[in-house]
Amino acid sequence: MTPPPATTLSPGRPELVTSEYPQRRPRWIELTTSADHKDIGRMFIGGSLGFLLLATVEWVLMRLQLAIPENTMLRPEFFNRLLSLYGETAIFLFAIPLVVGLVYYVVPLQIGARTTALPRLGQLAFWLWAAGAATLYSSLIFTPPESGVNPLPPLSSLAFAPSNGADVWLGSTGLICLGFVCFAVNMIATLRNLRAPGLAWRRLPPFAWAATVGTWLLGFISVVMLGAITMLMFDRNVNGIFFEGDAGGSPLLWQHLSWIFFNGAYMLIVIAAFGAIAEIVPTFSRKPLFSREAVMASLVAIAVLGTLAWMQNMYSDPIGIGWSYFAMAMAMLAVIPFGLVLFNLIATMIGGAMRIRAPMLFALGAISMIAVGLAGELGQSAVGVAWQLQNTTDATASTHYALVGAAILGGLAALHYWFPKMTGRTLGESLGRISFWTILAGLNLSFFPLTLAGLQGQVVDAYKFYSDTGVSGYNLVATIGAFVLALGIVLALANVVLSLRSGVRAGHDPWGGTSLEWLAPSPPPLHNFDLLPDVRSHEPLRDIRDAIARQGAGGGEKATESQPVA
Amino acid sequence: MGAVLLTLALAAAPAGANVISPELPHSPNADDLNTLYWITLIVVVALIVVVNVALLSAIVRYRERRGREPRQVRSGRRVQLRATGVLAALAAATFVVSIVFTQKARDRAPTGPQGLQASSATVTGSGAAPIGTSTPPASQSANPLEITATGQQWLWRYTYPNGAFSYYQLVVPVDTSVQLDLVTTNVVHGWFVPELGGKFNAVPGKVNHAWFRADQTGTYTGRSSTFSGAAYAADRIEVSVVTPQQYQDFIARQKSDIQDAQDIVVQQIQSGQTP
Repeated sequence: MTPPPATTLSPGRPELVTSEYPQRRPRWIELTTSADHKDIGRMFIGGSLGFLLLATVEWVLMRLQLAIPENTMLRPEFFNRLLSLYGETAIFLFAIPLVVGLVYYVVPLQIGARTTALPRLGQLAFWLWAAGAATLYSSLIFTPPESGVNPLPPLSSLAFAPSNGADVWLGSTGLICLGFVCFAVNMIATLRNLRAPGLAWRRLPPFAWAATVGTWLLGFISVVMLGAITMLMFDRNVNGIFFEGDAGGSPLLWQHLSWIFFNGAYMLIVIAAFGAIAEIVPTFSRKPLFSREAVMASLVAIAVLGTLAWMQNMYSDPIGIGWSYFAMAMAMLAVIPFGLVLFNLIATMIGGAMRIRAPMLFALGAISMIAVGLAGELGQSAVGVAWQLQNTTDATASTHYALVGAAILGGLAALHYWFPKMTGRTLGESLGRISFWTILAGLNLSFFPLTLAGLQGQVVDAYKFYSDTGVSGYNLVATIGAFVLALGIVLALANVVLSLRSGVRAGHDPWGGTSLEWLAPSPPPLHNFDLLPDVRSHEPLRDIRDAIARQGAGGGEKATESQPVA
Repeated sequence: MGAVLLTLALAAAPAGANVISPELPHSPNADDLNTLYWITLIVVVALIVVVNVALLSAIVRYRERRGREPRQVRSGRRVQLRATGVLAALAAATFVVSIVFTQKARDRAPTGPQGLQASSATVTGSGAAPIGTSTPPASQSANPLEITATGQQWLWRYTYPNGAFSYYQLVVPVDTSVQLDLVTTNVVHGWFVPELGGKFNAVPGKVNHAWFRADQTGTYTGRSSTFSGAAYAADRIEVSVVTPQQYQDFIARQKSDIQDAQDIVVQQIQSGQTP
């Protein structure tokens, strides 16, 4: 699949025009059998947005139960099932797949690839993920998992979770992680081999670089999680003793392995959001990203340090205080790259001419909320502080500030930004703004009271709290906030659905971007690009615009029809 | 937005400082954890405020206006190094301070003058173990009062040095250095009484340790803090701090009551009745 040798300004119409051929089969058959990265990416994005709605419903139901003290609306088992489903849905079915979908759609376009390196593996990734999701929700017919967000053995071992709910959790998470590994392998190979001529690693757009870091990270942590899942499956089904403390195994082993995954996934989501924001902020400030090398290096450091800090979730366990201090050191060192990324994003705005359209608005909100969440996480990475605050709603609040900020605000920023490329239509601007402010208000209204409730010692994952603990007011406000947040999410999703049909038509390059995806038509044809320029800098489209401007000024040869530039 | 809310909360701080801090400490280790909490809170709030103020002022100042051409600045090595330096200093300072106060919280304070004295022969066990570890302890002159806390679904059981035990309610003497040996009979349970300093997990197959020295008589409530299944939310903890004399009366009474109950059962079995 070597791209044809093409110069920046070779005239004439390409000979191969597949986009004008009529489709041979109905659209849904095309879609479900497609191995095209754009179709798979779209299905990942669509699916993850559907599960966002489901996770929101589950969260609102749990908040409804916790609206008043000692509520009896939901039975404890039912609450625990909701909790387990929510955790799996939010992480494995919404946040990571949204990252995967965006990366899978956008990054091949950004690097000027006409396909991915291993398209069938990418297809397998999606269908494994879909099978995992179907497995999880088919358990509603039987017994859903009820061992919590992270099912720690022995709570998830056969003795304490005899129902097949735990097996369903393991099966579905296993399928999904296998899908993530397939995706990661394909993406790593694509990024390694299919970059456009001249597109060196250092010239990758920020999102493509975040995808490079993120896919390596996702591949690594998914394999670790698969190992843990396999061991627990052995324990549950064929009398394994990996996590049986009495028989020479160790329940702490699960905690180590699973926290590597969850910490790494957290970092992946934040890295992807930073990558997308680092595309949006320069585009809408009409300035290059400030110190892109520092940002690129910081993303790598976040992946490494953030994942190495997995034991920050285990300060209360008997792991030896030295290991706790090690995790604390890693978590606190991660402040440097986190801070540098935020610093450079804000420095990019300085001296710019900022247009605040919906993508930029979401990106700015994401920066603010991620900063709040990460600062909270920094405080709780101190061992002594974590002894008081770990597993309280304070920890939930920090995590959700950072992850709702990254996955929902950052995800919607990316969606608003690339939606025109994916569909040829722009997402509705005013509905986008309304949904942004609603989400922002709901996020703060929901999670700031939980910060205060956590300080009073309210624990997370509990199906009720008592009226004598002084947290009733906080919980009521948090429940109201959850409804506002849910309303904002519904508005944002409604915006997506409505804009699919009636959005304003967009051209190749609605925002004035600088990377290669804006060279392709919107939506791109099956082969993405008719012609590819030789990449001479990290802003190839800017080079093309400059070249055209020079030609126009010099009265030279005009750009021809085959040069689809803005 | 979050910064605004946090500032509001800070402004309201004099009204009730414990709205934005964990419950008031009643043990030396909880004191240290509380101090560390306030230091990190300042760092956290400062970071949030700095980022959000910088963001907002950039938004306000550098909007698109007629005639404004964006400056095409690409990088500044000096400013990157400086930012890295500031962040590294911040990280290092927070790290050192955290270690200092965490270590202080782990150092078990000796029993005070009003506490249960070691000579009263109620103290057994291997001696003090470092908090947060399962390694064997260095010998110390004044052994703490050692109580075994056993996590169960969904009730804590406390075994006192004389063999007596109690459920749900832990009774300890005031001003006495108490060491809890945390074990579990089933799943992972977290022992968490904020006023007495932090949460520690009882993990199957391991012994974890926590300590405290309550400075006032009274009742302190806490809860299990690691998700443990169906009745997790109902798994609360109550620590009743009493005078040494009351404590000794309590464990003696518990022991004799337990003994009486056992005797009755034994009699019933011997006399042919099924209990």
